[in-house]
Amino acid sequence: MKILYIDTTTSYLYGALWDENKVVESVSTKLDKDLSVFTLQKIKEMFEKANLEPSSIDKIIVVNGPGSFTGIRIGVTIAKVYAYSLKKKITTISSLQAMALSTKKNVEYRIPIIDARRGYVYAAIYDKDNMPILKEQYLSLQALLCAIENLPGDYTVITNDQTEIENKEEYSPNYDRIISTYQDQEELNPHAVNPIYLKLTEAEEKQGVSSDD
Amino acid sequence: MKDVYIFGIESSCDETSCSIVKNGKEEIATVISSQIDVHKNFGGVVPEIASRHHVKNITMVIDECLEKAGMTIDDMDAIAVTYGPGLIGSLLVGLEAAKTLAWIHKKPLVPVHHISGHIYANNLVEEMRFPLIALIISGGHTELVYMKDHYSFEKLGGTLDDAVGECYDKVARVIGVPYPGGPTLDRWSTEGNDTYELPVPLNDDSYNFSFSGLKSAVINLVHNEEQRGNEIRKKDLATSFQNRVIESLTKKTMKALEDKNVKNLIVAGGVAANQLIRKRFQELCEEKNIHYTVPELKYCTDNAAMIAASGYFAYQLGRTSDLTLNSKSSDTLR
Repeated sequence: MKILYIDTTTSYLYGALWDENKVVESVSTKLDKDLSVFTLQKIKEMFEKANLEPSSIDKIIVVNGPGSFTGIRIGVTIAKVYAYSLKKKITTISSLQAMALSTKKNVEYRIPIIDARRGYVYAAIYDKDNMPILKEQYLSLQALLCAIENLPGDYTVITNDQTEIENKEEYSPNYDRIISTYQDQEELNPHAVNPIYLKLTEAEEKQGVSSDD
Repeated sequence: MKDVYIFGIESSCDETSCSIVKNGKEEIATVISSQIDVHKNFGGVVPEIASRHHVKNITMVIDECLEKAGMTIDDMDAIAVTYGPGLIGSLLVGLEAAKTLAWIHKKPLVPVHHISGHIYANNLVEEMRFPLIALIISGGHTELVYMKDHYSFEKLGGTLDDAVGECYDKVARVIGVPYPGGPTLDRWSTEGNDTYELPVPLNDDSYNFSFSGLKSAVINLVHNEEQRGNEIRKKDLATSFQNRVIESLTKKTMKALEDKNVKNLIVAGGVAANQLIRKRFQELCEEKNIHYTVPELKYCTDNAAMIAASGYFAYQLGRTSDLTLNSKSSDTLR
C-alpha cells in the first residue's frame, strides 16, 4: 500500500511517502509564513524523488489539528481535495497523537504540547499505550502543569515550541511509527474530513454561539 | 477551433464557489455556497469563521459543480483561482484546492485577480468591446479602470477610504437595517423622498471616491435627530443617501468616459446589483450614446463563473503560475 502523510498544523511541513511498509521519502522543513507558498511544491518534489505519481497513492493520512488555524486548513484542504478528486482513501490523525507516537523516550507518560499563545496550549497526556489520560484540549499552561504534577510516573514533554516546562524533548516525527499505526485506520468520506481546532473563534466566544451547524 | 473549458474557484470572502466556463463566455455550471446566514449573527463577515466554512464546503462545491456539468477535472483545460485581493485565510482555501487540482490532474494553474473577475463577469453577458471604462463597486472595492484591450488595466481612480458597499453596510447598521443592508436601502429608496441634506462625496475633478464623509454625515444626522427626539424617516434617508452615492459614482464615471473618449461602459461588483444604480447608468448611457453592460444579478456578487471567464483570457495570454502561487490580501490589478 502506498500512503501519503501530510502535516502542516505548525510552522513546519512534515510529509512522507510510504511504500511497501516503509518510508521511501520524507520532507521536514520549517516554512513559517511560507507554508501556503511551498507546501504543495515540496510535496510534489517529494513525489518526484520517490518516482511516484499522485495517482499511484492508495491512501492519505492527514493531520487535522490542533495547531495553527491557517496551517491546519492548508494540509486538510490539500488532502481532502486530493482524496476526493482521485478517489483515494483518507484518514485523519491528531497532531498531538502524532507527536506522542514520535517520542524517543521510554517513559510512563507522553505529553505533546503546541503553544496556543497568551499562556494557553493545546495538549494531551497519553500513557505508554497511547491511551489518553488527559484528552486533547485547549487549556492554560498552568492547568496543564497541575495535571502533570499529579502524574504517578515519569513523563516526557514533546514540543517544538519555546514553552517553559521540564522534561522537554524536541518533536521530530517518527513517520514509520505514525504511518504504521494509522495505515489501517478507518477511512473517511473526504467531504467529512475537517479541521479540529479545539477552540471557537473569538467572535463566537464573545457571542457565546457557534457558527457550526 | 477547439473549445476551451476553465474550472474556476473563488473563495475570497464569504462565498465558496466553483464554475465551469467555456471559451470565456459560456457558463456551463456554477455552484455558490453562501455563508450569509452564518455571518448575519455577527453583523458582518468574520474572517476566521469564513475560512472555517470554506474548508468545510470546498470539496462539496467542486463535486456539485462537476456533477451539474456532467464533466470531470480531466475535461478542463486549466484551473483558474482567485489569488487576491480578499480575506487571506479564505483565499488560501480556494488557492490550495486549485493548486492541488492542478498538480494531481496535470493542468495549468491560472491566477486571477478578484477585480478582473468582476470585470469579466460582463463577458458572460456579451463579448466585451474595447476600449472600455469599468466601474467596480462592491463591499471591498470602488475603482475606475480603463481597458484598451483584454487584460490591459489602467486604474484611473479609486476610493480614498471606505468602499461603497462598506458604506452601505455601515449606514444600514446606523438606521437599524440588518446585515447585509444594501438591498434594503435600495428598495426603500424607491419608496422615499430625497428630503435630507447630505453632502455629495469628494465632489471634485479627480477620478477618486470617498465615502467615509457621507457615512459620518448620516451617522451624525441620525444622532442629532435622535437627540432632538425626532423620528428618522428611514425611507427618506435611504433615498437621500443613495442619491448622493449615485451622483458621485455617475459623475466620476461619465467624466472618465468623456475624458478618455470611450464609448463602452462596464459596471460590475456586488453593488452593481443595486437596482437604482443600474437604472441611472442605463439612462445616462442612453442619453450619451454609450454602450453599457452590467452583469446579471447572479454574476454581480462573488462567484467563480467570473473567475473562470477572466481565467480564460489570462490562460490565452499564457498567464499561468507554478505551485508556489500565494494568495495576497491586496494586490494591484495588472
